[in-house]
Amino acid sequence: MQTTRRAALFGAAAIVSAAMPAIAEEEDIVIGFAVAESGFMQAYDEPATQAALIRIEEINEEGGLLGRQIVPVFADTKSDRAEGARAGLEVIEAGADMVVVSCDYDFGAPAALMAEAQNKISFFLCAESVRAGIQGVGPHSFSASVLAAVQGATMAEWAHEELGATTFYVLEDTWTEYNKGICDGFNWRAPQIEGVEIVGRDTFVNDDASIAAQITRIRNLPEPPDAIMLCSMMPGVVSAVRQIRNAGIEVPILNGSGVDGSYWMDAVPSLSEFYIPVQGSVYGDDPNPAVEEFNVRFEERFGARPSSQYAYPGYVMVDLWAKAVERAGTTDAAAVVEELEKMDEEPTLFGPRTFTSELHHQNRARYHIVKVTDGEPAVVDSWTIDEPIPLEVLLQ
Amino acid sequence: MTRAPSIMAKTVSTPLILIAILAAIAIAVDAFGSGPLARTVIEMLIRVVLVVGIWIFVGNSGIISFGHVGFMCLGAYAAAWLTIPPMLKQISLRGLPEFLLENQFPFWPSALAASLLPAVFALILGPVLMRLAGIAASIATFAMLAVINTVYSNWSTVTGGTSSVIGIPTVTDVWIALGMASGAIVIAWLYAISRSGLALRAARDEAIAAQASGVNIERERLIAFVLSAFVCGAAGVLYAHFLGIITPDAFFLTATFVALSMLVVGGINSLSGAVIGVVFISVIIQLLRWMERGVQVGETTVAIPSGAQEIAIGLVMIVILIFRPAGLLGNREIVWTSRREPRVARTQPAE
Repeated sequence: MQTTRRAALFGAAAIVSAAMPAIAEEEDIVIGFAVAESGFMQAYDEPATQAALIRIEEINEEGGLLGRQIVPVFADTKSDRAEGARAGLEVIEAGADMVVVSCDYDFGAPAALMAEAQNKISFFLCAESVRAGIQGVGPHSFSASVLAAVQGATMAEWAHEELGATTFYVLEDTWTEYNKGICDGFNWRAPQIEGVEIVGRDTFVNDDASIAAQITRIRNLPEPPDAIMLCSMMPGVVSAVRQIRNAGIEVPILNGSGVDGSYWMDAVPSLSEFYIPVQGSVYGDDPNPAVEEFNVRFEERFGARPSSQYAYPGYVMVDLWAKAVERAGTTDAAAVVEELEKMDEEPTLFGPRTFTSELHHQNRARYHIVKVTDGEPAVVDSWTIDEPIPLEVLLQ
Repeated sequence: MTRAPSIMAKTVSTPLILIAILAAIAIAVDAFGSGPLARTVIEMLIRVVLVVGIWIFVGNSGIISFGHVGFMCLGAYAAAWLTIPPMLKQISLRGLPEFLLENQFPFWPSALAASLLPAVFALILGPVLMRLAGIAASIATFAMLAVINTVYSNWSTVTGGTSSVIGIPTVTDVWIALGMASGAIVIAWLYAISRSGLALRAARDEAIAAQASGVNIERERLIAFVLSAFVCGAAGVLYAHFLGIITPDAFFLTATFVALSMLVVGGINSLSGAVIGVVFISVIIQLLRWMERGVQVGETTVAIPSGAQEIAIGLVMIVILIFRPAGLLGNREIVWTSRREPRVARTQPAE
């Protein structure tokens, strides 16, 4: 009796151990989303998450990654930092090979730090601060978007070259790091361009009810500037733009990508001469027809077109990570990071992407320039800044 | 001289039972729970430290304070200044004094120093605030919270402004949190049975009679205020070392209202109420969180919508306060009653 039982156990153990590697190979690849499914960050996280799911489905349809299917798992951060850390831990315990965290650095970092502590790769969905990566989390952390400073620098170069602007007025909304980042990029690039002069600067805060004092200072300039660099974001930017236009200042206004999307433009009657950089166009006129195909697919899958360009980084993220996994032949974090860092001008649907061992973010990127005329946004040009923004400028 | 030990002996069961409850939860989670659940328990223990800290002042003086989360903020940032590696500080917190910029201190000494900062702050501000009574005092503490928040949100070179402060070593585990929570309970209990605690409660219940009996209300309030600032500061230290990343808005209105509602639900006038309120609300939050994720009922998964947790917790609090306006514990403490005590005899059915 005793011996038969032992033999049976032995046999079972042998079968299990023989089956183990097979099971491991068959196992799915897990991407863990520790993102906001409720609370105010949901508005930012949801579109990018949906775009990521589309890329995951595409890869699965094509036969998977390393022959394995990608399975997404989710944990809600509730737009709260402590919940975010717990959500990060939850998806890691659910077997996540890569952890996707909230769009914003402040809200994504707790989950990213959890991943970092366990040597897992983390990707910020669309954070545009240099801290969303090596500098603020650690060597396994990346961001799927482009640094805010690149947007400011892009607008400086493009407005000078294409609008012929030589005098700029800088109006900075000091509410968030993102806003400051745009102006940092502009302030770095503009003075380097020959003939460009910044004729005045001012600041305000997003929830200021009135920026009349700032507008008066612009109007009191001996000559109106050729363009206003406005570094602001929702929701305060709408009121700021309306006040500038109501005051009769009709010069071009430049801003960052944060105001992309036509949903707010009704609030400023017949808005014109308003320019923003975007990674891809949601308006149906992207120079690359594949982007419009993506927009259509997005609408079929989720019932509405992407409302702004901030859905796109989610797609880019899965695309790049999957490529790195494919090249490394494993989901092992160290090997995948090495492959990601080898990417130099790696083509994606939304422009080339580069990672280095010093920066897991884009300090140079191709942007489409969207011009708003009579409340109608349309792509008018594409621009890539001459040289990448140096790390010292980003870290200042 | 002979009475002091007798008060101690009579009341010592309360802190022991409360600590035992927390320890039982911690041990159970450590043995059987998952990582995320352990984090929930650590968060609960940090809240115990905070709410017990608030209780030391609010429970004994009867003045509702909206400002104590500000002390948590002071403690958390002080802990960050002391323990972040110098390399990181020199980039992000350049305005710090030299000795902070160039040094990194170990957890325990830094925790003590960081908790002392809010106590010193309370000692300076207290003499002014403690002259006020009733709603005026509450509003003044709220103003203090607003001032702390505004200063910490804008003093960029020292606090990083509204940006996250990162690089704080994440050393808070279940045992450190349990130890600090136990320490907070013991401090609160010792204060409550002290001469000052008794005097302050006398002043709370009958100010004029207390004054007539020689109680210096301002002085007793100040002692409670400083002590509670110290304990709330310790909660901030724990929080900073728990999350590893802090921002000023983590120590503002939301945190204040959560802490106060835990205190009110538990029972504002008793130490047991403060602790039980935290445990009770934390357990409900965890249950709702599980329900949000979905509960397996037969073949189907039943889930409440995301975000329903916040609504449900509000409803639970309303219901409790309708049926138990003085909180779950009312004004009573949990005590170990021996057979000789008349209370047990009273509750026995008469035959």
